[in-house]
Amino acid sequence: MNRIQKSMEKIQATEELKHSTLQYLEEYQKKTRRMGLYVVRRFALAAAALFLLVGVGSYSVYRYPVSFISIDVNPSIELSINRFGRVVSAKAYNEDGRNIIEQVPLKNVSYMQAIVKLLEDESCRGFLNKDSYLVFTVISDQSEMIVRELSGSELFQSYGAVTYTSDSSCMHEAHQHEMSFGKYRTYLELLKYDASITVEDCHGMTMGELRDKIEICTHEGKEDGEKNHHGEHHEKGHREEK
Amino acid sequence: MKSAEEINLAMETYADMVRRICFVHLKNRHDTEDVFQNVYLKYMLYEGIFENQEHEKAWFAKVTINACTDWLRYLSRRKWVSLEVIAEEKEVLDDTSGEVLEVVLKLPEKYRDVIYLHYYEGYSAAEIAGILGRKENTIYTWMSRAKDLLREKLGGEWA
Repeated sequence: MNRIQKSMEKIQATEELKHSTLQYLEEYQKKTRRMGLYVVRRFALAAAALFLLVGVGSYSVYRYPVSFISIDVNPSIELSINRFGRVVSAKAYNEDGRNIIEQVPLKNVSYMQAIVKLLEDESCRGFLNKDSYLVFTVISDQSEMIVRELSGSELFQSYGAVTYTSDSSCMHEAHQHEMSFGKYRTYLELLKYDASITVEDCHGMTMGELRDKIEICTHEGKEDGEKNHHGEHHEKGHREEK
Repeated sequence: MKSAEEINLAMETYADMVRRICFVHLKNRHDTEDVFQNVYLKYMLYEGIFENQEHEKAWFAKVTINACTDWLRYLSRRKWVSLEVIAEEKEVLDDTSGEVLEVVLKLPEKYRDVIYLHYYEGYSAAEIAGILGRKENTIYTWMSRAKDLLREKLGGEWA
């Protein structure tokens, strides 16, 4: 053994040094684990918050209706449509309408798909015949586009349906009378010719009966020489009513 | 991350060597403790695989030397090590050993590593070159100069 070896031999790691180092490593591991858990928890929390924010935000946007279509024959059904063109809710305003929406799921599909499903369903087809009067009334910033799309539909044309546009104040009033805004708009049209008609009277009438009444009134008006005094006669096609 | 079992085994196997390398580099026990802990922390976190025990031992020597160098650089301390460490070890060192170590510690840092690794750990010049990341010829030169300095201080019979 050389002198350096002999001298160095006595320099050793004490038990105290080893012990303190092992303790230090143990503490480090614990701290890292805690930190890891902390980071994981923070990350999970942040992810959850983000998910909620984006999720809730998206959901709010999704479920918020921006357009409405009232479908009236005798059954009166209103579809609420979000900005993605999806039906977010469907509400019936009479017994016939309630029977239909109980059987036909309309939510979360595009409004055109919903309308096709509705018109092709057995429960609805019973109301659609040569004497029936199918009316679509649209409230939307994009009403022109919706009306064009509806009018272009083969099914729409086959039933000789007509479209109208309306506005939210009409819808508001209609709902106060527990009536769809499509039917209420027709009531308001009839009211121009027949001041004695009430909302209650209209509740029990089909769209075809309302149309007939309007036609009679306008015909009588013509006969009485009161031409051009109250709106337009209904024709198959689109009318705009604000 | 190494297991507790691996750490305990490495502690029993290399603690003295790590302590001695710290001794030839550092000023006092406090610094030694810091570097010693740092070396074992690096070991605990080391993800590489050691081919054999020799590989592991060389890793410890290299990491300890680098840790000491970093520590000294960090503290911006002098290149020469205080002899305080010898005073701290006087209980275990006899006069002769104290004298030898004092001379060793007065060597420039690079010579201290070479002397320790060669004369205590028994590494060859080629192995030291691997540990220190230098050319083998450089190690031979350093070893030769270190021997001259030791001979000068300790006399012809120093080794």
